[in-house]
Amino acid sequence: MSDSTETDENNKYNPGENQDDLILQQHRKIEKEISESIALIGNKEALSSLESEYSDDDIYRQKVQDLSNKYKSVRRTRPDGNCFFRAFAFAYLESLLDNQQEFAKFKDTKNCSIRGGVNLGFPQFTLEDFHDTFMEVVNVVGNGPSACDELYKLFNNSGYSDYVVVYLRLIASGQLQKEAEFYQNFIEGCRSVLDFCHQEVEPMFKESDHIHIIALSSALNVGVRVRYMDRGDSSEVIAHDFPEGSKVAVHLLYRPGHYDILYPSTS
Amino acid sequence: MQSLKAGHLDASRWERRLQKELMSLMKEPPPGVEVDGDQAEQNLSLWTVHMKGAEGTLYEGESFQLQFKFSPKYPFDSPEVTFIGSNIPVHPHVYSNGHICLSILTDDWSPALSVQSVCLSIVSMLSSCKEKKRPPDNSFYVKTCNKNPKKTKWWYHDDSV
Repeated sequence: MSDSTETDENNKYNPGENQDDLILQQHRKIEKEISESIALIGNKEALSSLESEYSDDDIYRQKVQDLSNKYKSVRRTRPDGNCFFRAFAFAYLESLLDNQQEFAKFKDTKNCSIRGGVNLGFPQFTLEDFHDTFMEVVNVVGNGPSACDELYKLFNNSGYSDYVVVYLRLIASGQLQKEAEFYQNFIEGCRSVLDFCHQEVEPMFKESDHIHIIALSSALNVGVRVRYMDRGDSSEVIAHDFPEGSKVAVHLLYRPGHYDILYPSTS
Repeated sequence: MQSLKAGHLDASRWERRLQKELMSLMKEPPPGVEVDGDQAEQNLSLWTVHMKGAEGTLYEGESFQLQFKFSPKYPFDSPEVTFIGSNIPVHPHVYSNGHICLSILTDDWSPALSVQSVCLSIVSMLSSCKEKKRPPDNSFYVKTCNKNPKKTKWWYHDDSV
């Protein structure tokens, strides 16, 4: 009894306390819990591992059932706002491990991607830093299928992984700005494409929407299929391909606010 | 062992990045901006930048000092930037304790930005000012805020002011 009164006291609004401090403390606590419990890129798990999350939920159970007809495994990513970019990068590079022909093509177009394109207004040396570390990670793929563990380790080391995320964010931003007229149609309100890039694409930890996915997949010419698992009526998990009609190289599972990696049954 | 290696890697990257930034700011400073290179060389995590009010603006003839603090997570964490010294510019986004309300210093920070980009944004923020005055909530904010401006949940007003 006395315990609960004490807790109530502690939770009372105290105008002398700095509320911003309290909010930020709480944010940091949540972030710390997430980073301690969920790896940046997780291990491959059987698709059935999703079932246990939804044992009480008929709609989602049906959808997991539908997914399991098409996919055999899933790899979870840390929900830190960078999950789309990180999942995309890992899934694509992993797929190139045993497709060296495609890898050679990718590496070639990659080398000049931002530099030859739009001037993003960033200092050259910061762009180079991110480009160079990105290429360090990409080059690991050249070692073939045996490099899978190394790739996994690099993606779980934020000293590499976050550099890759930043670089992909810059590529997406470059694409949006290069075709600003087209992308302006997707931006709500009166924000310009440039403001949108500064506020929602270039900073870390900002979540990705369709527009990010379209921009990145078009810039790199890599097809992405996203399976949307939501509360919709259909028992099927709807798929969207980006860019439309492209050859799909990366499969992602979207659940509100988060992307994980999927592996199709056939491959 | 693994984490030790990762920590070491981050430390050398951090140093290389700040060294590059310092060189670039000393070689090609934006107009009216000068970094105290000796101080920064001695302690890469704390810089002082001198800034002159641009000609033809409300701050012409004035001099200011900015302090940059870099955490070990820079550039993934934004730098902590405040005006210091005896002359804090009177501006609708600058509090009298030197804190600056500028979105790229928190929410809109990108690791691809730099000290130079921040200096340019602050010069442009000062130059576009039409009336010298403090933020409307200055006295309340200065009394209640944390010493570190990054611990404030900023509510960004009109960036064009």
